[in-house]
Amino acid sequence: MKRRDLLKGVAFGGVAGAVSLSGFPGIWTGRGTVLAASGDIPVGVLFSQTGAVAVVESTLHDACMMAIEEINDNGGINGRMITPYVEDPASDPATFADRANRLVRRDNVISVFGSYTSASRQAVLPVVEGQNNLYWYPTLYEGRECSRNVMYGGAVPNQQQQDFVPWLKENFGGRFYLLGNDYVYPREENNVCRMILDEIGGEVVNEEYVPMGHDSFSSIVSRIRRDEPDVIFCTLVGDSDVAFQREYRSAGLDPDRMPVASLTRSEVEVAAIGGDAAAGHFSSAPYFMGHESAENERFVEAYLRKYGDDQVTHFVNEAAYFQVYQFKAAVEALNGEELTPTAIRDAAVGLRFQAPQGEVEIDANLHTHLWPKIAQWQSDGQAEVVVESDERMAPEPYWAYEGQVCTANGLENA
Amino acid sequence: MNTGFKIDCIGYGLFAAFVLLVMPWMVDFSGYELNSYARYLALGMVAAALALSWGTAGILNLGQALTFGVGAYIMAMHLKLRASESLPGGMPDFMGWTNVEALPWFWQPFHSLLFTLGAGVLIPVGIACLLGVFMFRGRITGVFVAIITLSLMLAVQLWIISEQRFTGGENGITGLAPLNLFGWSVDTYELSFYYLVAGCLLAGLAVGLGLVRSKAGLVLRAIKADPERVRFFGYDVARYETLAFATSAGIAGVAGMLYALVLEFASPTYMGLSISLAIVIWAAVGGRESMVAAALGGIGVNMAEGRLSDLFFDQWTLMLGVIFIAVVLFLPRGIYGLVATARDYLEARYTERVAMALNREQDDAARPVADRGEVK
Amino acid sequence: MEAWVNEIFIGISLASILLMVAIGLAIIYGTMGVINLAHGQFVMLGAYGAWLLQTQYGVSIVVSLPVVFLVVGLVGFVVERTIIQRLYHRPLDTILATWGIGIVLEQLVRNVFGSSSRYVARPEFLEGGYIILGAHASSYRLFIIFFSLGMLAATWYLLFRTEFGTKLRSVIQNTEISECYGISAKRVYALTFAYGAGLAGIAGALITPLVSVTPTMGTSLVVDAFLVVIVGGVGSLVGTAASALMIGEATAWLSYVLNDTTGRILILLGVIVLIRFRPQGLFPDTVRR
Repeated sequence: MKRRDLLKGVAFGGVAGAVSLSGFPGIWTGRGTVLAASGDIPVGVLFSQTGAVAVVESTLHDACMMAIEEINDNGGINGRMITPYVEDPASDPATFADRANRLVRRDNVISVFGSYTSASRQAVLPVVEGQNNLYWYPTLYEGRECSRNVMYGGAVPNQQQQDFVPWLKENFGGRFYLLGNDYVYPREENNVCRMILDEIGGEVVNEEYVPMGHDSFSSIVSRIRRDEPDVIFCTLVGDSDVAFQREYRSAGLDPDRMPVASLTRSEVEVAAIGGDAAAGHFSSAPYFMGHESAENERFVEAYLRKYGDDQVTHFVNEAAYFQVYQFKAAVEALNGEELTPTAIRDAAVGLRFQAPQGEVEIDANLHTHLWPKIAQWQSDGQAEVVVESDERMAPEPYWAYEGQVCTANGLENA
Repeated sequence: MNTGFKIDCIGYGLFAAFVLLVMPWMVDFSGYELNSYARYLALGMVAAALALSWGTAGILNLGQALTFGVGAYIMAMHLKLRASESLPGGMPDFMGWTNVEALPWFWQPFHSLLFTLGAGVLIPVGIACLLGVFMFRGRITGVFVAIITLSLMLAVQLWIISEQRFTGGENGITGLAPLNLFGWSVDTYELSFYYLVAGCLLAGLAVGLGLVRSKAGLVLRAIKADPERVRFFGYDVARYETLAFATSAGIAGVAGMLYALVLEFASPTYMGLSISLAIVIWAAVGGRESMVAAALGGIGVNMAEGRLSDLFFDQWTLMLGVIFIAVVLFLPRGIYGLVATARDYLEARYTERVAMALNREQDDAARPVADRGEVK
Repeated sequence: MEAWVNEIFIGISLASILLMVAIGLAIIYGTMGVINLAHGQFVMLGAYGAWLLQTQYGVSIVVSLPVVFLVVGLVGFVVERTIIQRLYHRPLDTILATWGIGIVLEQLVRNVFGSSSRYVARPEFLEGGYIILGAHASSYRLFIIFFSLGMLAATWYLLFRTEFGTKLRSVIQNTEISECYGISAKRVYALTFAYGAGLAGIAGALITPLVSVTPTMGTSLVVDAFLVVIVGGVGSLVGTAASALMIGEATAWLSYVLNDTTGRILILLGVIVLIRFRPQGLFPDTVRR
């Protein structure tokens, strides 16, 4: 402390001219100290509004903010309002880390809702783990992660593939063409797909990756034509998925004989692809906009009313939406105890919530029990659910790794 | 000691005072902001590195982020190995996932801290030397240098993303251990870490200024003005250009290492198109002719970004765009240009006044003694 | 045999897209030496123009082209008059200014239309495709190939067979003397810039059925287009076309034989080597002083 004061004295002496600007440092430290006094509950909202990933991520932001507003309009949580601290990390991992830091260390939020890509989640991890905060991550992801500081709201590979791959083999045949963007998620999903295919007697005819944002698929389509697979197992995201599907259609391939089975394609991508080009293909996810349930009807109606009729809901922004309610339930369960990120986490385990997709439950390993569905895309841009799991499926983030289990104590080697 | 050197020294001294005292004082010598400021310093450092090759030698490097990113990866590789000591084979987790059987040979030496620190400077320098010789021997200049450096950076970035087994791919290298610097465990939120970064920045600037004010620097400035003439005088132009290019790469490498420390991960976006252009813009805003000014530009723009994004949320990109256009239009030499113009103006005024005073004295001397008394 | 024809066609098709985006850039760079990094955003504006006309007025892409050309051309004209005009004596600085312009345009579009990815349908008469020598050729891609050649021809005609082209070429060769003859270099430059921007707009409208329309779509396009222009040689239309064809075919073949990532890396390295040993480009413009 003394050294600090001394340094400060030196600084004051050194920059005597700046003294006239009293209160000057305040400009640079910004907000943050004000809210501690009030009874509000500070949370961070960290979704990109700009940059390449904004196409999807801004819809997660919208869904998350809608949930917060709904809760506040209905009297908050035990009478306390949620105060969202919104940042725009601009689709850049370094900015994600910086903004997460700002939220956690400066604004003292007790939870952060955020991000879509694996890279951005990994960029935020050191910050939330370092400060023992809680990060609510709504996106499906590649699994094999077991942080005690992240609430994983999306599907892990076993939840998307366990039903899907055998179903595909049964209906179309066992020769799969694996196609994805070049990053962790597609590679891991394809690993899992290979394992399942080995088990059920299918085969992989080709496995191929293209750079992120890649949008010329002519060569790949001609390779697909050459190999004649039964199923194109697709983990392309964003622009690449759109460009590929359009190329598929203009090349005149037939979805009845060689359907694209995607783990990543949602209503957002289909809106950009165009319903005609997407029709007949399949996706596997826990939620589709066309799912029939009272909760979903309410969710879709509220969302469209708020953000416009040309918007869509999809499996990631549904999770971004219900995670806020899970947070609310956890805070309520704490019943007036001190609100710390770890207390909220512990209270959240085992909680059930009636989400648009069905009743979801938070596992002790902080992943979520979900309702896997297989759906076929229609020319109006909506998905028709063709197979619906009759029970909640448990998340197993280390499904593909024998001997490793994610538990309430973190990663354990059995 | 010529005036140029004196002015450099004054600027450097003021800058050192600003970085060492004023900036930490602004955040009370503590808090998360110190970490942010350390990040700004690292970015300022790479802007200064760019100014060394661009402002001094006229080499516009649109791939400056390449050497920056390489530095970051080198540091991250060392820290990742530290974090993976307990894992089977001491192998990083992402290698285990992709069925790599043993730690590849080019990862082995990064167990050593000394090797890592050396490599963080020397590998970027090596890359720059090879590329410099390749380009400058062919008398490539201007926009062609820009395109070549840019293309190489994009190629390396693509390669790093595609070789996920060895590089961590799109996610980069994450889950790092804290740096242990000869027994001192570095906490990136401490004042001491801030001063480590500041020290590196000042050292980098000193090296750069040393080069600029040496005889080689004189030749470089001549090359910037007219390479043909310098060549005619018998200087090996390519060698001098490569020297500036490589020094700049070394400084950028150190900046990259610091950046990976601050953010606790390395990502392929560190060597992307947008950060590379951003570096050029920071240097342009500060003033490309002076490394110190460019560093200030990097620090200042990032600080402003931090604040503007707080106040105006996603509209700050719009404002940044407008600011860049305005700077290019109205401050072609950056803020440094403003300062230099003001200085020249004051100097002119001063010399004028001195001249006038001298004249008056001469006039006085010519006048009769009685008048002289009245005047006084 | 089929595979061969197929890859050749794919290469030509890629080349035609590159060419469409690059022509405008080549004109601007060739005449003014301006490195227009906002070119990708002009393409993006064209794409949004086509989308807007289709969703609001039900106009097909082909019909929307003249409107898009004029509107984006006008944006280009304004940009030239307000900003670029002041930078002709320091060309490298145009990199910075145009990058800033690109950021501004991108954010403005995001403010107005949001970040969502937009869908534009291809015209009905261009649905489907043909089998040529056993290879599959979609009619839309064939259309783009012919259209890009048409753009090339029109630009050539404009430069070499019209009064404006004569003025432009004389300004390029010697600005001072041209001005002595009463040619307003300022006006010629502004119109050329607008023309280049308009071509970018057309390119943007035409690629909408192939890619997704987002505010960020321009950035990746401009890098590739720049490589094409530099490899082709400053101010040479033939060079631009030849280098587009070369890069397009190389992309097609490399990504067929190897894969897309390796293909792209090899092309970038190839471009580096080409520039190093032939900085004047494939077909240098010998008229330029």
